[in-house]
Amino acid sequence: MRWVAVSLACLGAVRSAPAVVSGDIYGPGSTQIPLASVPLKGSGDADAPALGARFASILAKDLELSGYFKALDPRSFPERPDTMGLTADTTDFTAWNATGAQDVVKGAITVNGGRVQLEARMFDVPSQVEVSAVGRRFEGSAADVPRMAHRMADTILEYLTGERGPFDSQILFTSRRGGPLKDVYVFDFDGDPPRRLTNERAIVVAPRWHPSGDEFLFVSYRRHLPQLYRQALGSRTARSVVSGRVAILNGAWSPDGSKLLVARDVGGNTDIYLLDSAGKPLRRLTDHWGIDVSPTWAPDGRHFAFCSSRSGSPQIYVMDIDGGGLRRVSFHGSYNTSPAWAPKGDRIAYTTRQNGFQIVVAGADGTGGRLVTRDGVNEDPSWAPDGRYLVFSARRGGRRVLVMTDREGRMQRELTTGQGDDTSPAWSPRRDY
Amino acid sequence: MRRARTGAVVIICVVALLGSWGCKKKGPSPLDGDLAGERGGLDEGGLAGRGSMARVQRGELPEEDGILKDVRFSYDSAELDEEAQRIASQNAAWLRANPTAKVEIEGHCDERGTIEYNLGLGSRRAKAAKDYLVTAGVDSSRISTISYGKELPLCHEQNESCYARNRRVHFVVLGQ
Repeated sequence: MRWVAVSLACLGAVRSAPAVVSGDIYGPGSTQIPLASVPLKGSGDADAPALGARFASILAKDLELSGYFKALDPRSFPERPDTMGLTADTTDFTAWNATGAQDVVKGAITVNGGRVQLEARMFDVPSQVEVSAVGRRFEGSAADVPRMAHRMADTILEYLTGERGPFDSQILFTSRRGGPLKDVYVFDFDGDPPRRLTNERAIVVAPRWHPSGDEFLFVSYRRHLPQLYRQALGSRTARSVVSGRVAILNGAWSPDGSKLLVARDVGGNTDIYLLDSAGKPLRRLTDHWGIDVSPTWAPDGRHFAFCSSRSGSPQIYVMDIDGGGLRRVSFHGSYNTSPAWAPKGDRIAYTTRQNGFQIVVAGADGTGGRLVTRDGVNEDPSWAPDGRYLVFSARRGGRRVLVMTDREGRMQRELTTGQGDDTSPAWSPRRDY
Repeated sequence: MRRARTGAVVIICVVALLGSWGCKKKGPSPLDGDLAGERGGLDEGGLAGRGSMARVQRGELPEEDGILKDVRFSYDSAELDEEAQRIASQNAAWLRANPTAKVEIEGHCDERGTIEYNLGLGSRRAKAAKDYLVTAGVDSSRISTISYGKELPLCHEQNESCYARNRRVHFVVLGQ
């Protein structure tokens, strides 16, 4: 952390460009800052240069996904990892200026017996200074290098926008990659293909994270009835959550992990129930002949939103966790489903039927709703842990892919490539350091 | 960085799982002993291999019609219209005439709309069909319901005739 100590105070004065700008004036997808992410200077083990290049390419990809940056082609870089300097004094800002770069990230990686020490620094080309607030030093194993790159990207976004970035995270989803039946997969931003986590060979729906990020819930028909299972991320076995032959269509852990909300199917009627974390029923929250599904917790743990057809068409409702205070929060159209409460509590995203199916982001009271997609089939939004980005499932050219957007709908980025039929995304909470 | 190391473990496990992926099929998912209890009077052991999911697990398509004809629905509706009631009425007559037969009613939806809501809609369709049969004199203990939402379509075309086939309840007859 030695170079973080360098003069934080002068930053505001020196950096003329965007400095800290709050989200909406300067948003993702408007002007993109040209940035050079240079492969790190490697020393120690033979794989150090390759790891340093991997760090730089993951960082560049994250920053491009964010919508705030355009990553420049490494072939245009005037400095080389093995010979470049790592201070402002030894950086050829004139040459970088000629490439169009406004920011340059470079650094060094030392690998000894698989142990990694890594430093990365950002330089502002127009003002010819190191942006010391963004400098980071990491230690870990070679396998940790992708996460180091994600945390560097999150730090750069925090410096630029005042909100930490979302990239040190993962996204669960279901996919038909193995044939007609589904499994739960996990996507991270490392550039590797998504990994399959379950081996159900059945219908699998509704994956949801435990707030720790260590475990997930899903519904599987592996024993004929749809039932709720939990599985640790590092495990290959899933455990049943609710004992007995209880049909559950979807479930969600409370923000503190102590309770579950589930949509239970009793003889063809679905209602929302509150369970303790061991799966024992605490309270029946809805009691209506209509469809009640897809509960999503408010981050304060005192309210939840769900989808109900009690008015005759599916709409989004909010209820207090004691079963009182029911209020409808979707007001337009005759088909509003799959609510997702934002991690800051201020917004709810959901799917609406309009010119196909679109994603709406509205205030938690339902007001101020706006479409963040325009056409086609876009469904099942899930919020990034920063509350700025969302992921949803979209039909693109006959396939379902995961698409990332921001809460204003200014940019879209496809995260998966259409190798499978990717649905029901769930963006993880922030990972621990 | 503790979590990242766990990630490496996951990769190893998934590789291990993938290793077994290519092995011969193990047949339909086991409906093993701890499922032998009763649900709506039905022993699910008897369902092995009969329902739509088991067919798909064997690489077959879900069955359209059977001993009993499928009942179809309008978009986002769980109401039995005149034609649906005519078919449900014939199905009820067959069940009254075959009093040892049991039936599982599967609710299905077309591909439009979200996965979880469609699971709820499929439940309602199955319940609507069950309620019709019970009103028509079939003992409710002979009937169970399950929803597959839009997960097990009969066809994949994006046109109304395909959607209409997929918006159905299917009757799986057991132990006639």
